[in-house]
Amino acid sequence: MHYAKPLSITLLSLLAFVLAGFGAGYASDQEFTFELEEIEKKSLEWEGYAELRWEHMDINQGSAFSLLNLADDPQSDFDRLVGALQLGGSYSQELYSLQWLLKAAGQQDTLGWSDTADIYTAYATFKPKASTSLSLGKKSYKWGKGYAWNPVGFINRRKDPNNPDEALEGYITAEADFIKSNIGVVQTAALTTVLLPVYDHINDDFGTVNEMNLAAKLYLLLYDTDIDLLLRTGGSRATAYGLDFSRNLLANFEIHGELAWTENQSRLTLGQDGSLQATAEDALAFLIGMRYLSSQNITSIIEYYHNGGGYSQQEMETFYRFALDAGDDLQLAAGSKLLEQARSASLKGYGRAQPGRNYLYARFNQKEPFDILYFTPAITTIINLEDSSYSLTPELLYTGFTNWEIRLRFSWLSGAGFTEYGEKQNSNKLELRLRYFF
Amino acid sequence: MQRKFLFSTPLLMATLLLALVAPVWGIDGNELLRQVDAKMQPASYEMYRKLINVEPDGSKKEFVLYTVKKGQEKMVALFVSPASEKGRATLRLGDNMWLYIPNVGKPLRITSLQSVVGGVFNNSDILRLDYSVEYTAESVEDKGDSYLLELKAKSGAVAYDRLMMVVDKKTTLPTTIECYAVSGMLIKTLHYSKIKDFGDGMVRPSVLETDSPLYKGYKSVMLFAKMQQREFDDEVFTLNYMSKVDALR
Repeated sequence: MHYAKPLSITLLSLLAFVLAGFGAGYASDQEFTFELEEIEKKSLEWEGYAELRWEHMDINQGSAFSLLNLADDPQSDFDRLVGALQLGGSYSQELYSLQWLLKAAGQQDTLGWSDTADIYTAYATFKPKASTSLSLGKKSYKWGKGYAWNPVGFINRRKDPNNPDEALEGYITAEADFIKSNIGVVQTAALTTVLLPVYDHINDDFGTVNEMNLAAKLYLLLYDTDIDLLLRTGGSRATAYGLDFSRNLLANFEIHGELAWTENQSRLTLGQDGSLQATAEDALAFLIGMRYLSSQNITSIIEYYHNGGGYSQQEMETFYRFALDAGDDLQLAAGSKLLEQARSASLKGYGRAQPGRNYLYARFNQKEPFDILYFTPAITTIINLEDSSYSLTPELLYTGFTNWEIRLRFSWLSGAGFTEYGEKQNSNKLELRLRYFF
Repeated sequence: MQRKFLFSTPLLMATLLLALVAPVWGIDGNELLRQVDAKMQPASYEMYRKLINVEPDGSKKEFVLYTVKKGQEKMVALFVSPASEKGRATLRLGDNMWLYIPNVGKPLRITSLQSVVGGVFNNSDILRLDYSVEYTAESVEDKGDSYLLELKAKSGAVAYDRLMMVVDKKTTLPTTIECYAVSGMLIKTLHYSKIKDFGDGMVRPSVLETDSPLYKGYKSVMLFAKMQQREFDDEVFTLNYMSKVDALR
């Protein structure tokens, strides 16, 4: 590819720059000091990170999503260089505070340039006492105990299971939070209630507009177990009820789970003729998971996720066949119309991450093997249990240089024809990510 | 009389033998441990700590934490720096521990055995409750200028099964603590030094150095500052408050 060489040179230049700056963390003497200015709190604080990410993907030529995404300009491989800036901050005065998180990114890839800039969060908080806080503005919610998925995340943005720790954009809400400790056997109780309006230009991607929605979470710490009871109601999305829990069975062994019941959940399914048909039915979703720390310092996270509102294997196969037929017919007059129908179906549900019904997620990481401080190798897999396709992602993470994070990751996707990972756009992806925190 | 003498000779010998090798009679190990705790920190307080990991080549990485504690089993620690860790908070309620990471946006349960900062210090060192809350004294030996306390963990949730604590007689402060795993393996040794007056009658070590046979050549240092008595609401020590701890500073 004609982009590969400039990208490689850019990357090497960046690495040289980064490594040149790493010497600063060394100290020759062993006298340690702790100055009071290091702990001085300021009313106005800024923080964030700058990121540079390079990705190389081999295209799974002939797959459903390579046809949908690259039919106009077929590629055998794909390079992408991304620069991103995340800027957070706060301003605090006695009982009031303002908090914000902004993110901007620009990317040059094989097909061209694109950029984005978003306000992820921006909200004001009034906290008259430790047990009570009120907030107003754009705020991000991460409800649920699951690591990769959150069926009870009723007002969460959908997270990427490959990067579940990333910040997500919020919604404009009004929130009240009340906490009470030591109520009989209940060690802690906390009630969070959220009003989420949906109007033109206000949260209009949440669901039906001109509706006011209410979401609530009651948290209980009961017999050393975290328990949440959750609710979402209103006209923008179907009413949903949820329960989650987390508990340590042993000091090094934790279990967690989520259960969600959604009334009349709407879904769009693709007919043989390419039309999308809307239906509504009650849906059950649940997740059960565990986290275990071994004596070798290996952390294992394993989760099983059932999404009753997801697409069955047969429904997904219908979609893949339709998309492939649309690609085959592209030269014919009707081809582009079929392709548009397939792209529409992809955008409205079939193309989202993990659209099926049953998944297994497993991640194993080992902190500081071979006595290498701040080094964490890991391997992650996501398996579609219905069609047996999967992704496998080994990675290396190093955080030894103060405020720098270096991550090298390779993802390998595998599956037969008409399966989720067999029909993805890429067959693999190599990614190098550098982050500098400030 | 003769009979009485015959009985008392072995008793006397046993008493003399025990006096040489056995625990000090008249000293309650658990009471001594409570005195050590009272000298080391108030029941409820706030403080700042700097953690420094030093590698064999001299390179180092520093972390600054703001910590508040209430009573015997409530504690929260907030990372103030470096920027890559800022805003992370760890909460302990008895044997329960959670970690909050701002980007992740929700608390996750963690264990005392893990290390949030990497290196020799683990979560148990950062969120350590009073020694007398986590350990029971099994024996105490008089070593001249110091006492040697042998401590056994009250539950499996504590990172170290057994501690050998040297307590200075004059100050009733610990000077050295060896930490052992259930297997009997020495995990790390803590060395307290540089006694400092923190105010309000709080005179205690301001430096804690740690080394470990598991991390040969590595060293971790903890510096203490601005430790002062302060009362907090119970609600501060809850999952919902973890994202707001900075408001206490």
